[in-house]
Amino acid sequence: MNKKNRRGVFRAITAFTLSAAMLLAGGCGKSGGQGGPGGPNAQQGGTIYVIAKQPLSFWDDVRKGAEDAGEELGYDIVYREATGDNDYSSQEADIQDAIKKKAKAIVIAPNGKTELNSAFEQAEKAGIKIININSKADYDGVLSFIRCSDNESGSVAARNAIKILRGDSMEITGLKNIAIIGHTASTAEERISGFINTFTDQAADAIAPTEMTENNGEKAEENKKAKIEAYKKGIIKGDPCAKKDAAKEEALEILQNNPGNISVFFGTNTNTTLGICEAVEELELQNEVVVIGFNSDERELAYIRNGVLDGTVIQNPYMMGYVGVRYAKKAITGDNVPLRMDTGAVFVSTKNINDEFVNLMIYPDGKPEENEGGQG
Amino acid sequence: MAKNKKSKDSGAYIFAGILIAIIYIINTFLVESIYWGNQEVSQKTGQANSALNKMNSELTAINMDSISIAAGIIAPEDMGMTQANTEIRYGNIIAAEHQFEAIKDVSPVVTKRYNYAKALITAFKAKLDSLGTDVVMMGDADEMNNILKREIYPLQTTASEMLISTIDAVNVENIKLNAANTRRAFLLMTIMMIVAILGEIAVWLFARRAKKIRAELEEREKNLAEVDAKLKATRQKASDLAVINVLTGMKNRYALDGDISDRLESGRFNIAVFDMDNFRSINDTYGYDFGDEYLAAVAEKLKEEFGEVAEIYNITGNEFCFVFNSSITESQAMGIAQNIQRVMSSPYEVLNLAVQLPCSGAVYHYLPGDCLNVNSLLVKLDTALRTVKMNGGNMINTVMNM
Repeated sequence: MNKKNRRGVFRAITAFTLSAAMLLAGGCGKSGGQGGPGGPNAQQGGTIYVIAKQPLSFWDDVRKGAEDAGEELGYDIVYREATGDNDYSSQEADIQDAIKKKAKAIVIAPNGKTELNSAFEQAEKAGIKIININSKADYDGVLSFIRCSDNESGSVAARNAIKILRGDSMEITGLKNIAIIGHTASTAEERISGFINTFTDQAADAIAPTEMTENNGEKAEENKKAKIEAYKKGIIKGDPCAKKDAAKEEALEILQNNPGNISVFFGTNTNTTLGICEAVEELELQNEVVVIGFNSDERELAYIRNGVLDGTVIQNPYMMGYVGVRYAKKAITGDNVPLRMDTGAVFVSTKNINDEFVNLMIYPDGKPEENEGGQG
Repeated sequence: MAKNKKSKDSGAYIFAGILIAIIYIINTFLVESIYWGNQEVSQKTGQANSALNKMNSELTAINMDSISIAAGIIAPEDMGMTQANTEIRYGNIIAAEHQFEAIKDVSPVVTKRYNYAKALITAFKAKLDSLGTDVVMMGDADEMNNILKREIYPLQTTASEMLISTIDAVNVENIKLNAANTRRAFLLMTIMMIVAILGEIAVWLFARRAKKIRAELEEREKNLAEVDAKLKATRQKASDLAVINVLTGMKNRYALDGDISDRLESGRFNIAVFDMDNFRSINDTYGYDFGDEYLAAVAEKLKEEFGEVAEIYNITGNEFCFVFNSSITESQAMGIAQNIQRVMSSPYEVLNLAVQLPCSGAVYHYLPGDCLNVNSLLVKLDTALRTVKMNGGNMINTVMNM
């Protein structure tokens, strides 16, 4: 009896084990086939520090792009910004912080060409990948430089200024002087030089009309060059301004000192552009002076719509932040990273302000609905 | 009984078998649904990626063409061909866009990336078109270079980057969906497993219970068999009592009936009856118990002396019937009869008293068909015996054959 009973229990256990094993075998087959080596869901890859220049809406967009990429790629984004575009010491502290927190990569727009090099060196030793955005850092360990060339952005501004001056005709008539107010960072210099070079190049015929009296071709060429150089020297450059009100004062002074003698007024960032616009509006010179600005602050867009601002060059900060983090991820996972990438600049005027692409650049998060009616 | 037991026995195993079959069927459906789920996801991913890759490669090709134009690689007379080519390529991009947009249930992240890429491509094409109409017509190579370098090229690279990002997002989505599928599958598997385990436990309990019941049944059967055996023994005893005289331990009248009835018609044998003369005087003088003891002693003696030559029956109180073996002849039978008379009438010690009684007998040489039944045979013998007793007893008479 006892023996029989034992055999029954044994049989029950065997049957149970067998069916359990079959179930398990079924389950295992599938899990192996699906999960793959990466496992389900992009695991958190680590932390990427994004260190920006200063608190401006431009950098908010960089941040948006970086955070979108972080979310898509499974990385935590720590966003830091310096107090102003010459404040490299707080950026240095941010790099130290990134080292301490064992960040995987740094995406940085440095406030200085070489000032951060020792910090970079320490970060590199700690195995942190360095991706450079916006303005160039003179450091060999930088894996990729993602920017919108300021020189070329300045050039875009100049070419569009010329287009406006030409109007429907092929020639520029009655070209007078140009005035520029730059902001207080290195980017301003590049934008200004890009602007001046392209402008004088494209408006060469208007600056120095070919004189029919001169028969000697070489001499004529020399004369032309000299005239262009003279024009370049004569360009009115206001003192670099950080604040909008300072820029307005500067612009008012320039406009009042050179009445009727300025064809184009160029501002190199949001605050200088806004200052110039306010001055032009105050003096009611919007029909005489072509105002070209930079960036896409809501107030700037409003000036475009009311005709004070003829156009503004916008870069693609969102793309810069997005691609910066993407390349950082590529570098972390050991993929090749393009050495440089140009995110391009676009000239925004009343003609294209409603284009989908322009709107995407201005409003990376989608156009806010409430602004539409209010600004019109 | 046995059949019933068997079916009860296999019940648990049949149940287990059905359970496993059900689990297997459900499992099959599960695998099927997971397979098709994954199939759908990978099909969608494949479609999306193929569309996006197509867009990206066509975009790159267009960009290459424009760079070639700018670099002067393409001869001015071939420009028209290149432009036509660009239109074809752009048409392919639009077709790929439609292909992508036809995919249902695309995640917001993918849609966002895709829309960005699409806007960039549209801007890229618009810029390219304006370049084709304005500057190229004007023949301003420097300006064309500027636009290519500063506007078109960044648009293409960023658009390409966005397309690749879209592909990445699609892949992440794919992994997520697959993971969700896997999670769902594991959840269902776990539920199935629990059901299976519970089922198995139920089967085990059922089997154990069935076993216990069977054991009880077997026990009861065993008890029943014991009772049955006892009953049989009792019945045997009772039937034995019917044909045996309790006092003497000899077969009785009924036994005689059974034993010789069949021989009456064709049998030939010697039979004799004896009884004590005046046995009643013993009962009257010493009591029945004494009489019984006396009879038992006589019977014992008779068995001892003649058990081998004859079957002895105690047919009434003190009357003994001897059916001689078939080997015994008529004359031998007469001799044995005289010996019987001698043994019976010899003295016996009963309860320290020596008792002796004379006895009479009748011998019958039976021939086939003499009697119809045992009764008439015994009547014949008794008649002969009575005749002797009437003549003073202590003699042996012979039944005369008619």
